[in-house]
Amino acid sequence: MNELTLDPAPPSGEPIVSARGLRKSFGRKEVLHGLDFDIPAGRIYGLIGHNGAGKTTALNAMLGLTDCQGTIRVLGEDPFARRAKLMENVAFISDVASLPRFLRVRELFALLSNIHPNFSQDKARGFLEGTDIKPEMKVKHLSKGMIAQLHLAVVMAIDAKLLVLDEPTLGLDITYRKRFYRRLLEDYMTEERTLLITTHQVDEIEFMLSDIMFIRDGDLVLHMQMETVNDKFTQLVVTDPAQLASARALKPVFEETRFGQTVLIFDGVPRAQLEPLGALSTPTLSDLFVALMQRPTANAEPAR
Amino acid sequence: MKAFTALMHREFIEHKGAFFLGPMLLLAVLFGLTILAFTVGRVDVHLSGALFTVAPLIIYEMGFFGLGFAWSLYLAVTLFFYCADGFAADKRNNAMLFWKSMPVTDFKILLSKLTAAVTILPGVVFGLALLSGVLLFGVAFATMSINGTASVGTLGAIAGIYGNVALTLFTALIAALLWYLPVMALVGAIAAAIGRWAIPIALLLPTLISTLEWVTLGGLHPFATNTWRFLQYRLAVPQTDYVDTWFAAAETATSGRLGVPRFDGVAASGEVLASLDWAQIGIGIVFALAAIYLASEYRRRVNDN
Repeated sequence: MNELTLDPAPPSGEPIVSARGLRKSFGRKEVLHGLDFDIPAGRIYGLIGHNGAGKTTALNAMLGLTDCQGTIRVLGEDPFARRAKLMENVAFISDVASLPRFLRVRELFALLSNIHPNFSQDKARGFLEGTDIKPEMKVKHLSKGMIAQLHLAVVMAIDAKLLVLDEPTLGLDITYRKRFYRRLLEDYMTEERTLLITTHQVDEIEFMLSDIMFIRDGDLVLHMQMETVNDKFTQLVVTDPAQLASARALKPVFEETRFGQTVLIFDGVPRAQLEPLGALSTPTLSDLFVALMQRPTANAEPAR
Repeated sequence: MKAFTALMHREFIEHKGAFFLGPMLLLAVLFGLTILAFTVGRVDVHLSGALFTVAPLIIYEMGFFGLGFAWSLYLAVTLFFYCADGFAADKRNNAMLFWKSMPVTDFKILLSKLTAAVTILPGVVFGLALLSGVLLFGVAFATMSINGTASVGTLGAIAGIYGNVALTLFTALIAALLWYLPVMALVGAIAAAIGRWAIPIALLLPTLISTLEWVTLGGLHPFATNTWRFLQYRLAVPQTDYVDTWFAAAETATSGRLGVPRFDGVAASGEVLASLDWAQIGIGIVFALAAIYLASEYRRRVNDN
């Protein structure tokens, strides 16, 4: 496994999620190849990877939705064996619109207040104030954006220790997406809560993440705090072709040409060494994603 | 318990169309037809004339039983389709992951569906069936009052008939639900695994099992096996001599003979309960729980939304 790992900040107590040698196969195809990771409390994690990289399978393992080999503990429990109990303290939004469409909003809240011991109907109503969603509306008559808002209100009204969002804003326009994440940060996150998000729109969540995990073809290739990412990776834009050879000699992990300029990303090379060669910056998460996640079979122009 | 009750409530909300709105519509149609029949004169000629004078109370008993039978057919069909479809509804509605995000086990969810199928769903239909009896009796009594064949004493007798027949229908409903519980659980369990294909599979299953016995153990033909005989017995509607005897007498009475004893709901209910094979019901409950457990384990493991 080609994992670039720096220890996250030492957890104050037990990790919220702990996985050791996590494997999952569908038939003969192994989709998770023995993942090892800990997710401490109070962090906002981004789990990022290509389609089919194993993100949803890893999330499903954490949520007790699928059985896996290896060991995984969430809040100290085996999620597959104790899913129902675990869900008292874990909330999630899956990548499909999964709210029951036949219910009215008020019926949904009334049912949840009887089914979920940690759901607050008042909180959920509060989160919907100022939106166009009314208690008498049926879920099936809501727009995609409104359903996302409603689902977010539902999970935020659950007093959970871990919130897992699997592509929560899929198919939503940019306004809804921004509002969704802003709401999450302002109204939900506290030091006791942990948030785990997967999305393809990495740029939109970059500002809120404390840690990232890159998963590629069932392997964890990067697991790091965002501050460390900023310190460790450097992007260099070379405009003078004469400097290119010197830059390449420092072994960039990624190189591409953009509008006649050469962009290189370096891992662990001191900035002082790179400064004379061109303009330096911190790579965005999407740049890093492209740099670290290229698959030879999937890309005509692999990283040099 | 609160969560379990809420889960049953959501079954009612989800299937309100089949178990409440549909019957309400039928009730409205039935009421309208009854009013129409008694007011335009069609029934007046046949029933409220000589017939009501000769054997009026038998008409109430037979009429309510007829209604009860019709509602039973409706209930049997809707419950079958509920089990074949409702147990797969979370998958069909793309709501599986939502319900899995709740702190309830798959077993509890499926058990709530089965429990709803033998409590609130038939209960609502039974309530509407009782209401349909009230409406029918009300219109018939009003017509009799208008043509002068009814009195206060008749009203008391009608109320007695209503109570006796309602009691018998209720007992028969409970008996049928207990008797067919394993069938409902099996259809539901199949639906939890394969969705709506449970409908043809459930219908073909007795033949398939019987054929399997015929192929493996031999016999005259697939419908002359022990399996087939058992299934015939197990799927037959429980019947009592009391109801048959009373019906035979009642048929004679409507032809003009008087003096037929009133239908005794307590005696009929007692016979219904006594005629049940309680050992089979016990086995059926265990079978139903086992089928639901296996289906819940399948649902727990297979996570296709």
